[in-house]
Amino acid sequence: MKLRGAAIVGLMAPALALMAVLYVVPLGVYFVNSFHEFRDGRILPAWTLQTYVKYFTDPFSYRVIGTSLRLSLMVTALAVLIGYPVAYALHTRVHRPAARAAIALLLFSPLLVSVVVRTYGWLILLASGGLVNTTLRGLGLIQEPISLLFNMRGVVISLTHILLPFAIFPIYSVMGRLDLSLKEAARDLGAGWRETFLHVTLPLTMPGIVAGALICFTLALSAFVTPQLLGGGRVQVLPLAVYNSTVEINWPGGAVAGLTLLVISIAAVWALNGLLRRLPTV
Amino acid sequence: MSERPPRGHGAEVEVRAITKRFGPVAAVDDVSLVVRGGEFFSLLGPSGCGKTTTLRVIGGFERTDAGEVFIDGRPMGQTPPNRRPTNIVFQRLALFPHYTVYDNVAFGLRMKRLPDAEIRRRTRDALDLVQLPGLEDRRITQLSGGQQQRVALARALVNEPRVLLLDEPLSALDLKLRLQMQEELKRLQHRLGTTFIYVTHDQGEALAMSDRLGVMNAGRLLQVGAPMEIYERPTNRFVANFIGDANLIDGVADGVERGRVAVRVGGGVVGARARGDERAGAPVTVCVRPERVRLLAAGGTPGALRARIEDRAFSGYVVKYRLAGEGLRLHAAVPYAAGTPLFGVGDEVTADWDPDQAVSVGRE
Repeated sequence: MKLRGAAIVGLMAPALALMAVLYVVPLGVYFVNSFHEFRDGRILPAWTLQTYVKYFTDPFSYRVIGTSLRLSLMVTALAVLIGYPVAYALHTRVHRPAARAAIALLLFSPLLVSVVVRTYGWLILLASGGLVNTTLRGLGLIQEPISLLFNMRGVVISLTHILLPFAIFPIYSVMGRLDLSLKEAARDLGAGWRETFLHVTLPLTMPGIVAGALICFTLALSAFVTPQLLGGGRVQVLPLAVYNSTVEINWPGGAVAGLTLLVISIAAVWALNGLLRRLPTV
Repeated sequence: MSERPPRGHGAEVEVRAITKRFGPVAAVDDVSLVVRGGEFFSLLGPSGCGKTTTLRVIGGFERTDAGEVFIDGRPMGQTPPNRRPTNIVFQRLALFPHYTVYDNVAFGLRMKRLPDAEIRRRTRDALDLVQLPGLEDRRITQLSGGQQQRVALARALVNEPRVLLLDEPLSALDLKLRLQMQEELKRLQHRLGTTFIYVTHDQGEALAMSDRLGVMNAGRLLQVGAPMEIYERPTNRFVANFIGDANLIDGVADGVERGRVAVRVGGGVVGARARGDERAGAPVTVCVRPERVRLLAAGGTPGALRARIEDRAFSGYVVKYRLAGEGLRLHAAVPYAAGTPLFGVGDEVTADWDPDQAVSVGRE
């Protein structure tokens, strides 16, 4: 059945309306606000680039952008590094559908818990007298408790935890499409396990890695609650800057920071999609 | 380089009593087989008969539940594929999509860490061998099916294996290309002297290419022999039916004498070579090829089979008849030359054959 133009628009109308009202319009408002200036507690009606100038000449802005990028890159790298072996194990070792579903549910379960609850959970675990520190001390790995809270470490740990399934599943799904006889062919031609992995499995699952990295990176970049609660004000990232400006009614400042965030996300999506297109398809 | 075995030296492969189960099903059921060094051997059978599993056992891709594989007398045990003197061409080819033609073919040599110059020379030679020069830098996806086929062949042969395993490598090609590749494979095998073990479900392919072949069904190896031997002397119903066209005629053994069995069918008696286990009065099946059936106008020799022509089809050099008689259906293919008298539909005829041209295939 082929849908006519009108029917397609009709079917998509609710989604389009939602996008328009909740996304495009606010983005427009943002855009407009970025060309105003906030001074003495109010937004001036005159059109100006002053807010941009102020934002991009302030070293603090670059520190925030730098922190955001560092956090997102660390979380992405960790999620992929931890997630890839999980996906590999799931792909090669777990064959019964029921077992696969159970493990998938387990991996996604953090998403079923409210972000606030989960974050408070990490607060308890990561505290000086918390489970992580006492365990490490019990094992004799550390003498003094290491500080995992209200700094980058705690935020990275917690965000990696929550974003792990977003790294695992794209990789896992690409692995599922991998022709197993490719691995057998490599083995047949004299490759050992390691060489087979390096020359066949890894390059051919690269699209999954890139897709997973893309999702993790953009989600980490826009994470708000975790840096807010676990960063204790010491992990200043872009979403926090936007939030802080907005509660001060400094809409122009928030708008410029927000658009910066958007541009970085778009750039990441564009770059990784370009990479994805150049990778061989399985 | 010196430890490479010389060309023209295919290894002998012995499969001794192997059984492979997948769950409760025995995919390969107590199969024993000796493939001679330098032989073109085919494993033939319908899909699911265990031929591919047998091949994969030889290549080291499947562990067996029982039995052992010997290559040149050496037990393979659990030796992995990368340490066996075998290479395989997969049914789905399994070419590396992220590599060029050259990199695909050079893969095995690189894994052996040979010097670059030798890798280059041997890769070029292999591509020449399969008549694909000049395509080194192409991506796999830019090749036609036939070209991919040749790359897969070159990728295996470049390693100069003692045994080449081929798992229905031509099944994806169209008929014309398939016939051409059949010839080429045979020529290659002859030239290299490598032992080829070729899995196929296409009896024409197996008969045309093989020095010897083995027919499998339901996990069992039913018969091994040269193509003509298997065509002439199938030892059971399945093989008779699977290879070529066959009339399978059920009757009762009348008597066995000097390697011949007389079989009562309906009102007549026919002869066939005995298998050895026939007993007078017991049911027996006779296999006779359609082109061996002689037709005469009715009223011929007493005891011959009486039948009526049901259908006639002319196909150039033979005339094919379908006949029905008392408890009997029969196909006959009579060579045609100008002036040959033809029978018409409805004609009553007698059918017989030289007992040496028919064979008893038991009853199972």
